[in-house]
Amino acid sequence: MWWSNLFKDMSPASFFNFSFLPKYGQLFVQGVEYTLLLAVVSVALAVIPALVLALMRLSKNKFIKGIAGAYIAVFRSTPLLVQLSIIYFGLFGVIQIPRITILGFVDLSRFIPGVVALALNSSAYVAEIFRGGILAVDIGQTEAARSLGLNKFACMRFVVLPQAIKNVLPAIANEIITMVKESSICSMLGMAELMFGAKAAASATYITLAPYTLAALIYFCINYPASKGIEAIERRMRRGDKN
Amino acid sequence: METRTEPIISVRNLVKTYNNGEIHALDDCSIDIAKGEVVAIIGPSGSGKSTMLRSLNLLEEPTSGSIFFNGVNLSDKSVDINLHRQKMGMVFQHFNLFPHMTVKKNITLAPVHLKLKTQAEADAMAEKLLKRIGLPDKADEYPAMLSGGQKQRIAIIRALAMEPDVMLFDEPTSALDPEMVGEVLDVMKELAHEGMTMVVVTHEMGFAREVGDRVVFMDSGKIVEQGTPSEIFDNPQNPRLKDFLAKVL
Ligand SMILES: Nc1ncnc2c1ncn2[C@@H]1O[C@H](COP(=O)(O)OP(=O)(O)OP(=O)(O)O)[C@@H](O)[C@H]1O
Ligand SMILES: [Mg+2]
Repeated sequence: MWWSNLFKDMSPASFFNFSFLPKYGQLFVQGVEYTLLLAVVSVALAVIPALVLALMRLSKNKFIKGIAGAYIAVFRSTPLLVQLSIIYFGLFGVIQIPRITILGFVDLSRFIPGVVALALNSSAYVAEIFRGGILAVDIGQTEAARSLGLNKFACMRFVVLPQAIKNVLPAIANEIITMVKESSICSMLGMAELMFGAKAAASATYITLAPYTLAALIYFCINYPASKGIEAIERRMRRGDKN
Repeated sequence: METRTEPIISVRNLVKTYNNGEIHALDDCSIDIAKGEVVAIIGPSGSGKSTMLRSLNLLEEPTSGSIFFNGVNLSDKSVDINLHRQKMGMVFQHFNLFPHMTVKKNITLAPVHLKLKTQAEADAMAEKLLKRIGLPDKADEYPAMLSGGQKQRIAIIRALAMEPDVMLFDEPTSALDPEMVGEVLDVMKELAHEGMTMVVVTHEMGFAREVGDRVVFMDSGKIVEQGTPSEIFDNPQNPRLKDFLAKVL
């Protein structure tokens, strides 16, 4: 075979030298779990603050609107790594989290600051998703609800939000995918997620490239099918909406 | 009807401007609407008909002037408008049914949430109302499954489920295919005959003439002429009304 030579001559730096796998494979398995945990938990935690931020931004009160606007602007206009560092060393330099390990490999003293930082960052983005979703609901829905005597909050809760949330679900699922990727930055602060696993394998074995190739493959195999799935659901929702 | 003497709605010097006073949607309008009266508002596009109607339940906030409903000044900031809106049903051109709720839920949401009825009472009422408009089998359907005429009839009974004192209609048949206009007008006629107080913005001159106790003609944000249907349609005075009727009749 033409490629048999290729494999025999593979240098330590080549892309697919996965000889570290038997010994360090476990790091990747745990890394994936850690990454998924980070992404899902941080977006889940972001939902409520994001909703509050979105409603604040839609408020008529300039002060309330301004606070939410400033929050969103700050988190969207600074790098995640900078936010992460400030929250990790600043906020959680003051609040001490005990070193408790859950699931065997998640050290809470690192995980919680990481999740909080990602969630704070994510709420800025999810807030904009919610705001768009709320504004996309026909104003006639609000008028009908208010004309029946429902107050602002009841109108939001029973009429506008259910329609807005249904419309933004795909965008929120996409935000989880973004977080799967962005959370790789948490490796910088010693969180044992996928990228951290790849780094650890690389430095332990002096195989400098292949662990990252493997990490890339794993990220891809999670995110690509997931985003395709979301697209399909979105298409079906759109078809169902035509009335 | 002896109750006709006391107005249920009283509009005084109502002004509504948009774009910092650039657009005068309503220009010093005053009108009284008596209990049980059916008032049809007609006029060319942009004359302020919708603005007038939507001011009555404060969907549009007046720039100045006052609106009295059952003797209460709605434009007074200390008034809880939500309470009064419960008694003013409104029907929109585009139905505005809640698409994520079944027909029954559309009808019962407000009465139940506002604690006017238990869910069981509201359900029974919804079924009764649906039967009345000939759609008893649609209770568990979603609005997307209904025709325009069915949607509008359901929007009407959704408002009726609040047992309002007055019903406001903003061109309820303009978004309908012609063959569905009749079924909606029939429901409205029945309501009128039952003595419901109604304010109807409409392009259906036939309906205004047949059902209206009074016809109000608006132009450029003003009430230009009003009177009985025969006064307005058979003996119009204002040249702009004559002009308008020449175009639409
Ligand atoms: N939200 C708004 N902003 C600016 N101008 C408005 C707004 N709503 C209404 N107007 C203007 O106010 C005037 C009256 O509008 P209105 O909708 O009451 O007219 P109408 O008689 O209901 O017309 P139509 O028969 O087309 O429904 C129009 O000139 C319109 O352009
Ligand atoms: Mg109009």
